[in-house]
Amino acid sequence: MLSEERHVEPSDQSALTQPAAGRLVSPDIRDEFGLETLDMNMGPQHPAMHGLLRLILELDGETVVRCDPVMGYLHRCQEKIAENRMYPAVIPLTDRLDYFANMHNEHGYCLAVEDLLGVEIPPRAEYIRVLMCELMRLASHIPSVGFLMLELGAFTPILYSFRERERIQTIFEAVTGARMMFHYIRIGGVKADLPEDIPQKIWDYIESLESNFQRDFVDFIQGNEIFISRTRGIAKMTQEKAIEMGVTGPGLRGTGVDFDIRRDYPYSIYPELDFDVITDTEGDVAASYRVRIAECLQSIRMIKQCLEKMPEGEVMGDTGRRIRPAEGEGFGRVESPRGEYTVHVVSDGTDIPYRVHYRDPSFCNMQLLQEMVPGHYLPDIMPIMGLVDPVSGGWDK
Amino acid sequence: MQSVLSVLDQEPIRFFVSFGVILFLVLNLAAVLTMAERKVAGYIQLRYGPNRVGPRGLLQPLADVFKLFTKENVSPNRADMWIFLAAPIAMFIPAALAWIIIPFSPSAVVADLNVGILFFVGITSIGALGVIMAGYGSRSTFSLLGALRGAAQLISYEVPMILSLLGVVMLTGSLSLVEVVQAQGGGFWNWYFLPQLPMFFVFYIAGLAEVKRVPFDLPEGESEIVGGFMVEYSGMTWALMQAAEFASLALISAMSVTLFLGGWQPPIEALDLGNFNWAWFGLKTALITFTFQWIRWSVPRLRMDQLMNLGWKILVPLCLVWLFVTAGLMLVFPSLGQ
Repeated sequence: MLSEERHVEPSDQSALTQPAAGRLVSPDIRDEFGLETLDMNMGPQHPAMHGLLRLILELDGETVVRCDPVMGYLHRCQEKIAENRMYPAVIPLTDRLDYFANMHNEHGYCLAVEDLLGVEIPPRAEYIRVLMCELMRLASHIPSVGFLMLELGAFTPILYSFRERERIQTIFEAVTGARMMFHYIRIGGVKADLPEDIPQKIWDYIESLESNFQRDFVDFIQGNEIFISRTRGIAKMTQEKAIEMGVTGPGLRGTGVDFDIRRDYPYSIYPELDFDVITDTEGDVAASYRVRIAECLQSIRMIKQCLEKMPEGEVMGDTGRRIRPAEGEGFGRVESPRGEYTVHVVSDGTDIPYRVHYRDPSFCNMQLLQEMVPGHYLPDIMPIMGLVDPVSGGWDK
Repeated sequence: MQSVLSVLDQEPIRFFVSFGVILFLVLNLAAVLTMAERKVAGYIQLRYGPNRVGPRGLLQPLADVFKLFTKENVSPNRADMWIFLAAPIAMFIPAALAWIIIPFSPSAVVADLNVGILFFVGITSIGALGVIMAGYGSRSTFSLLGALRGAAQLISYEVPMILSLLGVVMLTGSLSLVEVVQAQGGGFWNWYFLPQLPMFFVFYIAGLAEVKRVPFDLPEGESEIVGGFMVEYSGMTWALMQAAEFASLALISAMSVTLFLGGWQPPIEALDLGNFNWAWFGLKTALITFTFQWIRWSVPRLRMDQLMNLGWKILVPLCLVWLFVTAGLMLVFPSLGQ
């Protein structure tokens, strides 16, 4: 009703083909009337940026002709610090990467080291890991939807979603002792078994979330005419484009590419669980929202299965007192809420990793901004950020 | 005592005294509305809102005002100081001045102008000037963008707003607001929102846009341009802008009540409160204000092109069509016109 669908012309791409160093100083882009464009600096201190991101924008009226994300304001040398620590001591550092998906970070790193060591993980520990990771996915996807709405100008959904995140964090606190920086998944298993009453509490919580989910996060948002007109057709990309840009996660699945590490490169106990990989056909911001919402429901399904099938037994495998893998390389790939999170660990035979590399989805999806934003209006940057949904700790390692 | 009252009743003195009362009311209204806004937001958002200062947080506006008074007034280095400082005043004065034509009850009106509606239209468009001055005087990118958006939006939405008033003017045959309300007496079926429902709808939407509230808060747009034209203001200059916003919010509510919901008229004759009929006016205004706040905390923001589409392609044609329908109805049923 409010607008025809907006077709974004691939605008002046000349700025993008210039060398990166040259692009930071403003190139002289002029519109068809020979008028100069307006330079604008968004961030790093900007209330709506996800953390410390700086966007150098070139505006022609309200249309963005150039968008350069500048990263590095939260760089903490995570990979270099990891080269000076013993294997188990790297886990707390991984918590600080993508601070909306801490469990996945730990899980990826532990999978990589376990790949090097070749240890066997007790089945109960695997179930607890997946249970925690899926709870974490809920605690990340639901606020993502809230952030998207916040960036569109609606303040209320973020508080609804943070209520859910808060409850999940309470569960995490009971299980791991911490609300965000868990240090729970360890090499060979998990730190401790679940407390006695926690499975029941998780079950009760998941039931209540499931019953309120439609009301709080779908009915309230999805049918809203303004929401639809603000997100439909924004940042629309083809499957080829998404693959070419290395996008993973909800953004990729929103274009229709059926790719999920949990199913295609299975790890942990995901092959034993029954779940669907959600895809959408549109490939725009609205599609990524729908994918996130549907994935939340899949996570709820998986958590229930985990709780039902949870075996008894040990939660820590036999790794020896000192973790000293033989020379070689180890990989851990997990599906974090934002996409593929991969850890590559190289061992030189000592108890300190020779090299640790994180492929963080926030970082890799970020290049989408430079490609997708030009041609859109200034207010469309925010929904595009909601599609990419980067986390500051993830892109600056 | 009697002599004091008779002095007060003399024309220039009566005007200034009652305008002083109105100004006092408007300033307090702004403070009360900030409180109401935060409480409504709180209850919509699963929290309590301010509840620490005074009983149930009722003294919060007082604390806010005290804080704003004592706050340093920071201005950008390159700001054009005259324009920068005049902007909040240019925003506040029209918002407060427009209140003089609002009839609270048959006698309680500062100035019953025979061109009241015209006065309202004229005085509220000055508010756009304040927005442009604020954005231009701040000399910052975000402010400038906000001001340009504000200018485009306020001027565009003047058109449907004025058109939506015309139906009421046609039915009443007068531009005086007191006469408009008097024409709506006798029960809620005589209120103009029934024959003028599309016009009421347009006035409401255009009013939302005129007071720059969600979903039309593009000049502020806090998620992309961080407060727009207001971004460089602090302390009392900022407070004055906020007061202007809240005063014009209440003004739009009061105007929609006056024009479409029968002003001080009770919904049915049996509920006539005599001299206290202004309570009906207050109640209806509060209800409309509440719906504004309800909308604000529930929906996202439109984009500039969508805003323009809505204004020019939907609201303006709707008004024009309904003007013809109203005229036709008045031809067929001469009893409609007074």
